[in-house]
Amino acid sequence: MAEDRTKPSELDQGKYADDNVKIICLGDSAVGKSKLMERFLMDSFQPQQLSTYALTLYKHTAMVDGKTILVDFWDTAGQERFQSMRASYYHKAHACIMVFDVQRKVTYKNLSTWYTELREFRPEIPCIVVANKIDADINVTQKSFNFAKKFSLPLYFVSAADGTNVVKLFNDAIRLAVSYKQNSQDFMDEIFQELENFKLEQEEEDVPDQEQSGSIETPSEEAASPHS
Amino acid sequence: MYVGMMCTAKKCGIRFQPPAIILIYESEIKGKIRQRIMPVRNFSKFSDCTRAAEQLKNNPRHKSYLEQVSLRQLEKLFSFLRGYLSGQSLAETMEQIRRETTIDPEEDLNKLDDKELAKRKSIMDELFEKNQKKKDDPNFVYDIEVEFPQDDQLQSCGWDTESADEF
Ligand SMILES: Nc1nc2c(ncn2[C@@H]2O[C@H](COP(=O)(O)OP(=O)(O)OP(=O)(O)O)[C@@H](O)[C@H]2O)c(=O)[nH]1
Ligand SMILES: [Mg+2]
Repeated sequence: MAEDRTKPSELDQGKYADDNVKIICLGDSAVGKSKLMERFLMDSFQPQQLSTYALTLYKHTAMVDGKTILVDFWDTAGQERFQSMRASYYHKAHACIMVFDVQRKVTYKNLSTWYTELREFRPEIPCIVVANKIDADINVTQKSFNFAKKFSLPLYFVSAADGTNVVKLFNDAIRLAVSYKQNSQDFMDEIFQELENFKLEQEEEDVPDQEQSGSIETPSEEAASPHS
Repeated sequence: MYVGMMCTAKKCGIRFQPPAIILIYESEIKGKIRQRIMPVRNFSKFSDCTRAAEQLKNNPRHKSYLEQVSLRQLEKLFSFLRGYLSGQSLAETMEQIRRETTIDPEEDLNKLDDKELAKRKSIMDELFEKNQKKKDDPNFVYDIEVEFPQDDQLQSCGWDTESADEF
Protein backbone atom coordinates (compact mmCIF):
# COMPACT_ATOMS: atom_id res chain seq x y z
CA MET A 1 0.00 0.00 0.00
CA ALA A 2 2.94 2.30 0.65
CA GLU A 3 3.60 3.07 -2.98
CA ASP A 4 0.01 4.14 -3.43
CA ARG A 5 0.79 7.23 -1.45
CA THR A 6 2.94 8.79 -4.12
CA LYS A 7 0.55 8.04 -6.93
CA PRO A 8 -2.94 7.64 -5.56
CA SER A 9 -4.97 5.17 -7.53
CA GLU A 10 -8.49 5.84 -8.54
CA LEU A 11 -9.84 3.62 -5.82
CA ASP A 12 -7.99 5.59 -3.19
CA GLN A 13 -9.51 8.76 -4.49
CA GLY A 14 -12.84 7.06 -3.97
CA LYS A 15 -11.99 6.42 -0.36
CA TYR A 16 -11.26 10.09 0.27
CA ALA A 17 -14.20 11.43 -1.71
CA ASP A 18 -16.94 13.05 0.32
CA ASP A 19 -19.55 11.46 -1.82
CA ASN A 20 -20.13 9.65 -5.06
CA VAL A 21 -22.90 9.86 -7.59
CA LYS A 22 -23.95 8.01 -10.70
CA ILE A 23 -25.11 9.86 -13.80
CA ILE A 24 -26.57 8.10 -16.81
CA CYS A 25 -26.57 9.29 -20.39
CA LEU A 26 -29.51 8.19 -22.54
CA GLY A 27 -30.81 8.71 -26.04
CA ASP A 28 -30.98 7.20 -29.51
CA SER A 29 -28.04 5.83 -31.44
CA ALA A 30 -25.71 8.45 -32.86
CA VAL A 31 -27.22 11.49 -31.13
CA GLY A 32 -23.74 12.22 -29.76
CA LYS A 33 -23.76 10.93 -26.18
CA SER A 34 -20.21 9.62 -26.35
CA LYS A 35 -18.90 12.71 -28.16
CA LEU A 36 -20.40 14.88 -25.41
CA MET A 37 -18.74 12.79 -22.70
CA GLU A 38 -15.42 13.00 -24.50
CA ARG A 39 -15.73 16.76 -24.96
CA PHE A 40 -16.42 17.25 -21.28
CA LEU A 41 -13.68 14.95 -20.01
CA MET A 42 -11.18 15.81 -22.79
CA ASP A 43 -8.32 13.39 -22.28
CA SER A 44 -8.42 13.59 -18.54
CA PHE A 45 -10.72 10.63 -18.20
CA GLN A 46 -9.48 7.67 -16.26
CA PRO A 47 -7.78 5.04 -18.35
CA GLN A 48 -9.52 2.35 -16.30
CA GLN A 49 -12.70 3.00 -18.17
CA LEU A 50 -14.75 -0.05 -18.72
CA SER A 51 -15.67 -0.30 -22.31
CA THR A 52 -18.07 -2.58 -24.07
CA TYR A 53 -20.29 -1.99 -27.02
CA ALA A 54 -23.20 -1.49 -24.71
CA LEU A 55 -21.70 0.68 -22.02
CA THR A 56 -18.74 2.88 -21.31
CA LEU A 57 -18.06 3.84 -17.75
CA TYR A 58 -16.16 7.03 -17.06
CA LYS A 59 -14.84 8.06 -13.68
CA HIS A 60 -14.56 11.72 -12.91
CA THR A 61 -13.71 13.74 -9.84
CA ALA A 62 -15.53 17.02 -9.32
CA MET A 63 -15.66 19.69 -6.65
CA VAL A 64 -19.10 20.77 -5.51
CA ASP A 65 -19.33 23.36 -2.71
CA GLY A 66 -15.87 22.50 -1.48
CA LYS A 67 -16.53 18.79 -1.43
CA THR A 68 -14.86 16.16 -3.55
CA ILE A 69 -17.38 14.21 -5.52
CA LEU A 70 -16.58 11.04 -7.38
CA VAL A 71 -18.80 10.77 -10.43
CA ASP A 72 -19.54 7.62 -12.38
CA PHE A 73 -20.81 8.45 -15.83
CA TRP A 74 -22.62 5.60 -17.53
CA ASP A 75 -22.60 6.18 -21.25
CA THR A 76 -25.04 3.76 -22.77
CA ALA A 77 -25.53 2.72 -26.38
CA GLY A 78 -28.81 3.54 -28.04
CA GLN A 79 -29.05 0.37 -30.08
CA GLU A 80 -32.18 -1.64 -29.49
CA ARG A 81 -30.43 -4.96 -29.02
CA PHE A 82 -29.09 -3.73 -25.69
CA GLN A 83 -32.51 -2.98 -24.30
CA SER A 84 -32.60 -6.05 -22.08
CA MET A 85 -29.68 -4.71 -20.06
CA ARG A 86 -31.08 -1.29 -19.36
CA ALA A 87 -32.44 -2.05 -15.91
CA SER A 88 -28.90 -2.12 -14.60
CA TYR A 89 -28.13 1.27 -16.13
CA TYR A 90 -30.96 2.92 -14.26
CA HIS A 91 -30.21 1.18 -11.02
CA LYS A 92 -29.22 3.70 -8.34
CA ALA A 93 -28.67 6.52 -10.80
CA HIS A 94 -28.80 10.03 -9.31
CA ALA A 95 -29.31 12.07 -12.46
CA CYS A 96 -29.98 11.57 -16.12
CA ILE A 97 -28.80 13.35 -19.25
CA MET A 98 -31.21 12.64 -22.11
CA VAL A 99 -29.95 13.58 -25.56
CA PHE A 100 -31.53 14.07 -28.97
CA ASP A 101 -30.07 15.15 -32.33
CA VAL A 102 -31.50 18.45 -33.63
CA GLN A 103 -31.02 17.18 -37.16
CA ARG A 104 -33.16 14.08 -36.74
CA LYS A 105 -36.79 14.29 -35.71
CA VAL A 106 -36.98 10.57 -34.80
CA THR A 107 -34.51 11.09 -32.00
CA TYR A 108 -36.72 13.83 -30.56
CA LYS A 109 -39.85 11.72 -30.91
CA ASN A 110 -38.14 8.80 -29.17
CA LEU A 111 -37.50 10.94 -26.10
CA SER A 112 -40.93 9.96 -24.83
CA THR A 113 -39.96 6.28 -24.90
CA TRP A 114 -36.67 6.97 -23.12
CA TYR A 115 -38.42 9.13 -20.57
CA THR A 116 -41.12 6.57 -19.84
CA GLU A 117 -38.49 3.91 -19.33
CA LEU A 118 -36.46 6.20 -17.08
CA ARG A 119 -39.46 7.00 -14.89
CA GLU A 120 -40.37 3.35 -14.60
CA PHE A 121 -37.06 2.73 -12.85
CA ARG A 122 -36.22 6.10 -11.37
CA PRO A 123 -39.40 8.10 -10.78
CA GLU A 124 -37.72 11.03 -9.05
CA ILE A 125 -34.20 11.66 -10.30
CA PRO A 126 -33.39 14.96 -12.00
CA CYS A 127 -33.30 14.77 -15.77
CA ILE A 128 -31.87 17.24 -18.29
CA VAL A 129 -33.00 17.24 -21.92
CA VAL A 130 -30.18 17.98 -24.34
CA ALA A 131 -30.51 19.25 -27.91
CA ASN A 132 -27.14 18.31 -29.43
CA LYS A 133 -25.44 19.30 -32.72
CA ILE A 134 -26.59 22.92 -32.74
CA ASP A 135 -23.45 23.69 -34.75
CA ALA A 136 -25.18 22.01 -37.68
CA ASP A 137 -28.19 24.34 -37.47
CA ILE A 138 -28.02 27.25 -35.06
CA ASN A 139 -31.61 28.28 -35.87
CA VAL A 140 -33.00 25.51 -33.70
CA THR A 141 -31.93 27.49 -30.67
CA GLN A 142 -34.66 29.99 -31.58
CA LYS A 143 -37.36 27.35 -31.46
CA SER A 144 -39.46 25.85 -28.74
CA PHE A 145 -39.46 22.15 -27.92
CA ASN A 146 -42.58 21.11 -26.08
CA PHE A 147 -41.27 17.84 -24.73
CA ALA A 148 -39.11 19.59 -22.15
CA LYS A 149 -41.90 22.00 -21.27
CA LYS A 150 -44.50 19.30 -20.89
CA PHE A 151 -42.48 17.48 -18.24
CA SER A 152 -40.95 20.67 -16.79
CA LEU A 153 -37.46 19.53 -17.63
CA PRO A 154 -34.56 21.89 -18.29
CA LEU A 155 -33.50 22.02 -21.95
CA TYR A 156 -29.88 22.65 -22.95
CA PHE A 157 -28.73 23.57 -26.45
CA VAL A 158 -25.27 22.11 -26.95
CA SER A 159 -22.67 21.06 -29.49
CA ALA A 160 -20.11 18.36 -28.83
CA ALA A 161 -18.30 19.59 -31.93
CA ASP A 162 -17.71 23.24 -31.04
CA GLY A 163 -18.20 22.77 -27.30
CA THR A 164 -21.13 25.12 -26.72
CA ASN A 165 -22.62 24.56 -23.25
CA VAL A 166 -21.09 21.10 -22.84
CA VAL A 167 -19.13 21.85 -19.67
CA LYS A 168 -22.08 23.72 -18.18
CA LEU A 169 -24.36 20.79 -18.93
CA PHE A 170 -22.19 18.25 -17.14
CA ASN A 171 -21.39 20.47 -14.20
CA ASP A 172 -25.07 21.23 -13.70
CA ALA A 173 -25.90 17.53 -13.96
CA ILE A 174 -23.32 16.76 -11.27
CA ARG A 175 -24.83 19.42 -8.98
CA LEU A 176 -28.31 18.06 -9.52
CA ALA A 177 -27.14 14.52 -8.81
CA VAL A 178 -25.42 15.56 -5.59
CA SER A 179 -28.38 17.53 -4.34
CA TYR A 180 -30.76 14.74 -5.26
CA LYS A 181 -28.67 12.28 -3.32
CA GLN A 182 -28.46 14.55 -0.30
CA ASN A 183 -32.11 15.52 -0.28
CA SER A 184 -33.79 12.33 -1.25
CA GLN A 185 -35.45 11.76 2.07
CA ASP A 186 -37.46 9.25 0.14
CA PHE A 187 -36.45 6.59 2.56
CA MET A 188 -39.25 4.24 1.62
CA ASP A 189 -38.41 4.66 -2.01
CA GLU A 190 -34.85 3.61 -1.29
CA ILE A 191 -35.93 0.51 0.58
CA PHE A 192 -38.39 -0.32 -2.11
CA GLN A 193 -35.65 -0.01 -4.68
CA GLU A 194 -33.35 -2.19 -2.63
CA LEU A 195 -35.92 -4.95 -2.47
CA GLU A 196 -36.85 -4.65 -6.09
CA ASN A 197 -33.29 -4.75 -7.24
CA PHE A 198 -32.06 -7.33 -4.81
CA LYS A 199 -31.16 -9.82 -7.48
CA LEU A 200 -29.76 -7.18 -9.72
CA GLU A 201 -27.62 -5.84 -6.91
CA GLN A 202 -25.80 -9.12 -6.51
CA GLU A 203 -24.90 -9.20 -10.13
CA GLU A 204 -23.88 -5.67 -10.36
CA GLU A 205 -21.92 -5.16 -7.21
CA ASP A 206 -18.57 -5.78 -8.79
CA VAL A 207 -19.02 -3.68 -11.86
CA PRO A 208 -16.27 -1.12 -11.22
CA ASP A 209 -13.91 -4.03 -10.76
CA GLN A 210 -11.80 -4.74 -13.80
CA GLU A 211 -11.96 -8.53 -13.77
CA GLN A 212 -15.69 -8.40 -13.53
CA SER A 213 -16.22 -6.47 -16.71
CA GLY A 214 -17.76 -9.59 -18.23
CA SER A 215 -20.72 -9.39 -15.91
CA ILE A 216 -21.94 -6.22 -17.50
CA GLU A 217 -21.88 -7.65 -20.97
CA THR A 218 -24.20 -10.44 -20.03
CA PRO A 219 -27.80 -9.38 -20.47
CA SER A 220 -29.63 -10.82 -17.52
CA GLU A 221 -33.21 -11.91 -17.65
CA GLU A 222 -33.85 -10.86 -14.08
CA ALA A 223 -32.48 -7.43 -14.79
CA ALA A 224 -34.87 -7.06 -17.66
CA SER A 225 -37.98 -7.47 -15.57
CA PRO A 226 -37.61 -6.23 -12.03
CA HIS A 227 -41.37 -6.05 -11.67
CA SER A 228 -41.97 -9.76 -12.07
CA MET B 1 -0.28 23.44 -52.31
CA TYR B 2 2.46 21.65 -50.59
CA VAL B 3 6.03 21.73 -51.78
CA GLY B 4 8.12 18.66 -52.28
CA MET B 5 5.27 16.83 -53.97
CA MET B 6 6.04 15.36 -57.31
CA CYS B 7 2.65 16.32 -58.68
CA THR B 8 -0.45 18.43 -58.22
CA ALA B 9 -3.72 16.55 -58.77
CA LYS B 10 -6.07 18.27 -61.19
CA LYS B 11 -8.82 15.77 -61.83
CA CYS B 12 -9.55 12.20 -60.96
CA GLY B 13 -12.05 9.98 -62.73
CA ILE B 14 -12.93 6.43 -63.62
CA ARG B 15 -12.91 4.51 -66.88
CA PHE B 16 -15.26 1.54 -67.08
CA GLN B 17 -13.79 -0.43 -70.00
CA PRO B 18 -11.20 -1.68 -69.17
CA PRO B 19 -11.64 -0.46 -65.59
CA ALA B 20 -9.10 2.11 -64.44
CA ILE B 21 -8.83 5.14 -62.20
CA ILE B 22 -7.44 8.03 -64.21
CA LEU B 23 -5.63 10.95 -62.67
CA ILE B 24 -4.88 14.19 -64.49
CA TYR B 25 -2.04 15.98 -62.75
CA GLU B 26 0.54 18.65 -63.18
CA SER B 27 4.04 17.38 -62.96
CA GLU B 28 6.04 19.68 -60.76
CA ILE B 29 9.33 19.22 -62.53
CA LYS B 30 8.24 20.28 -65.98
CA GLY B 31 4.99 21.99 -65.13
CA LYS B 32 3.35 19.75 -67.68
CA ILE B 33 -0.17 18.30 -67.54
CA ARG B 34 0.03 14.55 -67.53
CA GLN B 35 -2.30 11.60 -67.22
CA ARG B 36 -1.82 8.53 -65.08
CA ILE B 37 -3.87 5.42 -65.70
CA MET B 38 -4.18 3.09 -62.75
CA PRO B 39 -5.80 -0.18 -63.81
CA VAL B 40 -8.41 -1.63 -61.44
CA ARG B 41 -8.00 -5.37 -61.01
CA ASN B 42 -10.07 -7.97 -59.21
CA PHE B 43 -13.06 -5.70 -58.78
CA SER B 44 -16.58 -7.04 -59.25
CA LYS B 45 -20.10 -5.83 -58.56
CA PHE B 46 -19.79 -7.54 -55.17
CA SER B 47 -16.61 -5.74 -54.14
CA ASP B 48 -16.34 -3.36 -51.23
CA CYS B 49 -15.72 0.17 -52.53
CA THR B 50 -14.17 1.39 -49.29
CA ARG B 51 -11.60 -1.39 -49.31
CA ALA B 52 -10.84 -0.94 -52.98
CA ALA B 53 -10.29 2.79 -52.40
CA GLU B 54 -7.99 2.13 -49.45
CA GLN B 55 -5.99 -0.44 -51.37
CA LEU B 56 -5.46 1.89 -54.30
CA LYS B 57 -4.52 4.81 -52.09
CA ASN B 58 -1.97 2.67 -50.27
CA ASN B 59 -0.62 1.01 -53.38
CA PRO B 60 3.12 1.80 -53.32
CA ARG B 61 3.16 2.56 -57.05
CA HIS B 62 0.32 5.09 -56.94
CA LYS B 63 0.50 6.36 -53.40
CA SER B 64 2.42 9.56 -54.01
CA TYR B 65 0.22 10.52 -56.96
CA LEU B 66 -2.98 10.04 -54.99
CA GLU B 67 -1.95 11.95 -51.91
CA GLN B 68 -4.27 14.86 -52.74
CA VAL B 69 -7.19 12.68 -53.75
CA SER B 70 -9.44 11.93 -50.78
CA LEU B 71 -10.48 8.45 -49.83
CA ARG B 72 -14.09 9.54 -50.13
CA GLN B 73 -13.64 10.59 -53.73
CA LEU B 74 -11.94 7.34 -54.66
CA GLU B 75 -14.70 5.44 -52.90
CA LYS B 76 -17.25 7.32 -54.95
CA LEU B 77 -15.45 6.48 -58.19
CA PHE B 78 -15.46 2.80 -57.26
CA SER B 79 -19.19 3.09 -56.53
CA PHE B 80 -19.70 4.29 -60.11
CA LEU B 81 -17.78 1.29 -61.37
CA ARG B 82 -19.75 -1.07 -59.18
CA GLY B 83 -23.00 0.43 -60.44
CA TYR B 84 -21.83 -0.02 -64.01
CA LEU B 85 -20.86 -3.65 -63.38
CA SER B 86 -24.27 -4.37 -61.83
CA GLY B 87 -25.99 -2.98 -64.89
CA GLN B 88 -27.39 0.12 -63.18
CA SER B 89 -28.03 3.31 -65.07
CA LEU B 90 -25.92 6.32 -64.17
CA ALA B 91 -28.94 7.98 -62.57
CA GLU B 92 -29.57 4.92 -60.41
CA THR B 93 -25.96 4.84 -59.28
CA MET B 94 -26.02 8.56 -58.49
CA GLU B 95 -29.14 8.04 -56.39
CA GLN B 96 -27.50 5.13 -54.57
CA ILE B 97 -24.39 7.17 -53.86
CA ARG B 98 -26.51 10.01 -52.55
CA ARG B 99 -28.25 7.54 -50.21
CA GLU B 100 -24.95 6.16 -49.01
CA THR B 101 -23.37 9.53 -48.34
CA THR B 102 -26.22 11.39 -46.66
CA ILE B 103 -28.21 10.74 -43.52
CA ASP B 104 -31.88 9.92 -43.92
CA PRO B 105 -33.37 11.94 -41.05
CA GLU B 106 -36.31 9.56 -40.80
CA GLU B 107 -34.25 6.41 -40.38
CA ASP B 108 -34.29 4.78 -36.95
CA LEU B 109 -30.60 4.14 -36.28
CA ASN B 110 -31.36 2.17 -33.10
CA LYS B 111 -32.26 -0.80 -35.27
CA LEU B 112 -29.02 -0.98 -37.26
CA ASP B 113 -26.20 -3.43 -36.70
CA ASP B 114 -22.74 -2.20 -35.73
CA LYS B 115 -21.41 -2.02 -39.27
CA GLU B 116 -24.32 -0.03 -40.68
CA LEU B 117 -24.34 2.26 -37.66
CA ALA B 118 -20.61 2.89 -38.08
CA LYS B 119 -21.27 3.87 -41.72
CA ARG B 120 -23.87 6.44 -40.68
CA LYS B 121 -21.54 7.80 -38.04
CA SER B 122 -18.73 8.20 -40.53
CA ILE B 123 -21.05 10.25 -42.73
CA MET B 124 -21.87 12.40 -39.69
CA ASP B 125 -18.17 12.71 -38.91
CA GLU B 126 -17.63 14.87 -41.95
CA LEU B 127 -19.62 17.77 -40.51
CA PHE B 128 -18.47 17.02 -36.99
CA GLU B 129 -14.82 17.33 -37.96
CA LYS B 130 -15.50 20.46 -39.98
CA ASN B 131 -17.17 22.20 -37.02
CA GLN B 132 -14.95 20.76 -34.34
CA LYS B 133 -12.92 23.10 -32.17
CA LYS B 134 -9.92 21.06 -31.18
CA LYS B 135 -7.94 21.26 -28.00
CA ASP B 136 -4.74 22.19 -29.81
CA ASP B 137 -6.39 25.14 -31.59
CA PRO B 138 -4.72 28.32 -30.32
CA ASN B 139 -8.08 29.89 -29.45
CA PHE B 140 -9.60 26.79 -27.91
CA VAL B 141 -11.86 27.50 -24.92
CA TYR B 142 -12.85 24.60 -22.68
CA ASP B 143 -15.96 26.06 -21.10
CA ILE B 144 -18.11 27.90 -23.63
CA GLU B 145 -21.44 29.09 -22.29
CA VAL B 146 -24.07 30.62 -24.53
CA GLU B 147 -27.55 31.43 -23.35
CA PHE B 148 -30.50 30.65 -25.56
CA PRO B 149 -33.54 32.04 -23.75
CA GLN B 150 -36.64 29.91 -24.08
CA ASP B 151 -39.43 32.45 -23.86
CA ASP B 152 -42.98 32.18 -25.12
CA GLN B 153 -42.29 34.15 -28.27
CA LEU B 154 -40.42 31.29 -29.84
CA GLN B 155 -41.56 29.57 -32.96
CA SER B 156 -42.35 25.87 -32.56
CA CYS B 157 -39.73 23.39 -33.74
CA GLY B 158 -42.42 21.84 -35.91
CA TRP B 159 -41.84 18.40 -34.45
CA ASP B 160 -44.54 18.68 -31.80
CA THR B 161 -48.01 17.46 -32.63
CA GLU B 162 -51.10 19.51 -31.95
CA SER B 163 -52.83 16.90 -29.84
CA ALA B 164 -52.69 17.53 -26.11
CA ASP B 165 -51.50 14.06 -25.22
CA GLU B 166 -48.44 14.25 -27.34
CA PHE B 167 -45.63 16.70 -27.25
N1 LIG C 1 -22.09 18.22 -36.26
C1 LIG C 1 -22.04 17.52 -35.11
N2 LIG C 1 -21.95 16.18 -35.16
C2 LIG C 1 -21.90 15.51 -34.00
C3 LIG C 1 -21.97 16.17 -32.74
N3 LIG C 1 -21.90 15.22 -31.77
C4 LIG C 1 -21.78 14.04 -32.40
N4 LIG C 1 -21.78 14.18 -33.74
C5 LIG C 1 -21.70 13.15 -34.77
O1 LIG C 1 -22.57 12.10 -34.44
C6 LIG C 1 -21.91 10.85 -34.50
C7 LIG C 1 -22.40 9.94 -33.41
O2 LIG C 1 -21.94 10.39 -32.15
P1 LIG C 1 -21.73 9.39 -30.92
O3 LIG C 1 -21.18 10.18 -29.81
O4 LIG C 1 -21.01 8.19 -31.35
O5 LIG C 1 -23.25 9.01 -30.63
P2 LIG C 1 -23.84 8.14 -29.42
O6 LIG C 1 -25.05 8.84 -28.94
O7 LIG C 1 -22.79 7.85 -28.42
O8 LIG C 1 -24.28 6.81 -30.17
P3 LIG C 1 -24.45 5.31 -29.59
O9 LIG C 1 -23.32 5.05 -28.65
O10 LIG C 1 -24.41 4.45 -30.81
O11 LIG C 1 -25.79 5.24 -28.94
C8 LIG C 1 -20.43 11.16 -34.36
O12 LIG C 1 -19.70 10.25 -35.12
C9 LIG C 1 -20.29 12.56 -34.87
O13 LIG C 1 -19.93 12.54 -36.23
C10 LIG C 1 -22.09 17.59 -32.72
O14 LIG C 1 -22.17 18.27 -31.70
N5 LIG C 1 -22.13 18.21 -33.95
MG1 LIG D 1 -21.92 6.06 -27.70
